[in-house]
Amino acid sequence: MISFVLNALRTTVHNIKANKQVFLMSVATITIAFTIQGLFFLVFVNLNTLLSTWDKQVQLIVYLDDGISKGQKNVLEEIFKSNEKVDSISYDSRDEAWTEFKNTFSGKSGFVTDLGFNPLPASYNLKFKDDPERLVNIRQLADLLKEQKGVESLEYGEKWISRFENFMVFLRVFILAVGGILSVGLILIISNTIKLSIYSRRDEFDLMLLLGATHRFIKAPLLLEGLVQGVIGVGLALGIVKLTHIYMKFNFQGSLESIFRGVDFQFLTQPLLWAMVLASIFIGWVGSFLSITQYLHSTDRE
Amino acid sequence: MIQAFNLHKSYGGVAPALMDVSFTIQDGEFVFLTGQSGAGKTTLFKILFGWESVDRGQVIVDRINVGKLNESNLYTLRRKIGVVFQDYKLLPKKTVFENVAFAQQIIGADRKTIRFKTWDALKNVGLTTKKDSYPPQLSGGEQQRVAIARALVNDPQLILADEPTGNLDPEVSLEILELFEKMNQQGKTVIMATHSLEMLRARDHRLLILNRGRMVQS
Repeated sequence: MISFVLNALRTTVHNIKANKQVFLMSVATITIAFTIQGLFFLVFVNLNTLLSTWDKQVQLIVYLDDGISKGQKNVLEEIFKSNEKVDSISYDSRDEAWTEFKNTFSGKSGFVTDLGFNPLPASYNLKFKDDPERLVNIRQLADLLKEQKGVESLEYGEKWISRFENFMVFLRVFILAVGGILSVGLILIISNTIKLSIYSRRDEFDLMLLLGATHRFIKAPLLLEGLVQGVIGVGLALGIVKLTHIYMKFNFQGSLESIFRGVDFQFLTQPLLWAMVLASIFIGWVGSFLSITQYLHSTDRE
Repeated sequence: MIQAFNLHKSYGGVAPALMDVSFTIQDGEFVFLTGQSGAGKTTLFKILFGWESVDRGQVIVDRINVGKLNESNLYTLRRKIGVVFQDYKLLPKKTVFENVAFAQQIIGADRKTIRFKTWDALKNVGLTTKKDSYPPQLSGGEQQRVAIARALVNDPQLILADEPTGNLDPEVSLEILELFEKMNQQGKTVIMATHSLEMLRARDHRLLILNRGRMVQS
């Protein structure tokens, strides 16, 4: 077994040396394809972080009718308190809202101080507990509150969050589609590389079969060659993606923080990194497997 | 022992490559297989070591029914046979020693065994002094002796030599023939395909004659 493994490793190194140029072309192609995929993932991961940061900041503001009765307020407060997902409740009366508004805008426009009445409604401000389903919880409570008497309107930025969520779904599908197409392309390229490697040494492989080599003995080094192509290719691609991440962080972190407080440029998550490495190994293996199987079939007795 | 029963093989041309070929070769025999070019000698060899299949008939080599083996089990047959070709089929980028050792690596021998057996095989063909040379640096006769060493190194009981002296001058051809005879004296069954009349006349071995795919003498 040990001699089999050693021989497979030696033959793989020999194959790579003998077909250096084709091998490097193949690695370069894998690198380019996985860099593209990795950059898409990088964009996706960061947009996802942004979305979850916004999700955390989302609050449900319940604006009340001016003529809401005390009983109606009690009913609303009961609903809030009985909802386990609600973390805190604060109440802003009309007067408090107006005072805060004036404090914020008095210096900016005379119109605010000149206005002879208070146009702002009283409101409840609900914060929700940390939960991956936070937005769903907010929506459910909002749907329930819509029907309640004394509620004038609800505000939680639903429309733009929905749009953003839809965009993320689209991005996910897009990345998967691009990944799928790139994978098929890579399998064909690796398959052709190994095929070239086989055909350039066809006499040697034929001789191996004549001398009594098992199919496993012939397959192992070629499969290993495909795997090595995959591993080196994805390693270089991840290196490029990491450099891009460092560059972005170094140059644009300040700008990002000034727009979105507390948001940091993220690198690919562990599961994504592993998915890319495994996908590359799988692609290398399948590419090699296809061409070896084709070669061995061509040697079948007629 | 090799037993062939009514072998028929056609490549789709007008005349079949082999027609109704039957023969038996006992263990330890030395047999010349002869016939004109295109008579079917190489086809018969290819069938014996499982490189080609037969359309009809059966062939049994050392109790293995060749036709019943599937592609992934053919190695069990091929490891029992040492094959020598007219064009040597040596790997030009490997040294003489590596070429012979290659056959041992393929069957998964350990390093120590490979070294010992390869040296022994080279000694048998008188090529130990050339062990570090590359095939293109050798004469035709020397290259053929390397090919014979490679066929011998796994200690097969059957040697198939397909026109092994076809590219060699008569003197060297005789040396090669003597090598095969030496193997035969060591107990190996040897089938040597040749259409060299000098060679056939020089020795009194059993003769199988193929003519246009038919066995006319067995």
